[in-house]
Amino acid sequence: MARRKPGTLLPLENEILDAALALRRKGSATFHGFGLAHAIRERSGSRSLTAHGTLYKALARLEEFGLLSSRWEEAADATEGRPRRRLYELTADGLLVARSDRTDERIAPRARVPRPA
Amino acid sequence: MTPERMAALVLRWVRFYTRGLDGAVAERRRDEIAVDLHDHIGYARGDGEADARIAREIAARMLRGVAADVAWRRRQPKEERSMRPFRRSAVRVAVGVALILSLPLVAMRLTSAVAWSVGDFVLAGVLSTIIGAALELAVKKAGSVALGVGVGALGIAAGVIGRCGDAPGLIVFGLLLVGSGGALALRRALPGR
Repeated sequence: MARRKPGTLLPLENEILDAALALRRKGSATFHGFGLAHAIRERSGSRSLTAHGTLYKALARLEEFGLLSSRWEEAADATEGRPRRRLYELTADGLLVARSDRTDERIAPRARVPRPA
Repeated sequence: MTPERMAALVLRWVRFYTRGLDGAVAERRRDEIAVDLHDHIGYARGDGEADARIAREIAARMLRGVAADVAWRRRQPKEERSMRPFRRSAVRVAVGVALILSLPLVAMRLTSAVAWSVGDFVLAGVLSTIIGAALELAVKKAGSVALGVGVGALGIAAGVIGRCGDAPGLIVFGLLLVGSGGALALRRALPGR
């Protein structure tokens, strides 16, 4: 499992932000767990989907950092007996970080993430 | 195995690693994985994937995420995991009480010098339980295992001295000392009380 340097994001967290930004540019401001796993697979060209535990742990961390927010989908929007989805969205800080240059693993000082607890 | 059966297996794993957590936290994780599985199966079937392959993919996603699941669980705040420590404390107290009561029981079989009545056992059992619970609370609040062990050793010493005096009452006195120590530790841990 990748270890976090203070003030940086893990590779998967970066991938999530990139995928979230790409979805936003396509007009989907919100995204859900499986949709995100699928988008990451498409972007990376990988054969497998991100594992449940890894994906939802990373989403929870990004939410803790204030880079994502989430809410349950309205019951009326859950079609054909499908359970309600948890919908995630980039926050203003998340958008700033997603748009920043993170190629060297460091993120912009204004959007520096808090140290993990 | 069908994808639905594999999904049920995954949800069983989720229920297992979220057991004892705060209800809202556990429910959110379970619901989120449940809808993920639902979406996964629906999407893969729509894409023409064979059921066996979908089931394998689901199993692989679960297995690759096990370490993250365990890490996530360990990161949950302690107050959200209050049920498990409570159960552990109860087991520790029960085992301690059973051990204490087994001493005079064994002694009665070996020598006629020790003669406890049913009332003595009941009284010692009740007092030991109260004192054990106080000790658990004191150690938990004070956060010092050494303090609890020290107080416990004092009580055991008093109990042994009491046994040498051949009077169950002295053992009870020793147990009361343990209780006093526990109460003292609790007071130190909760300033202003």
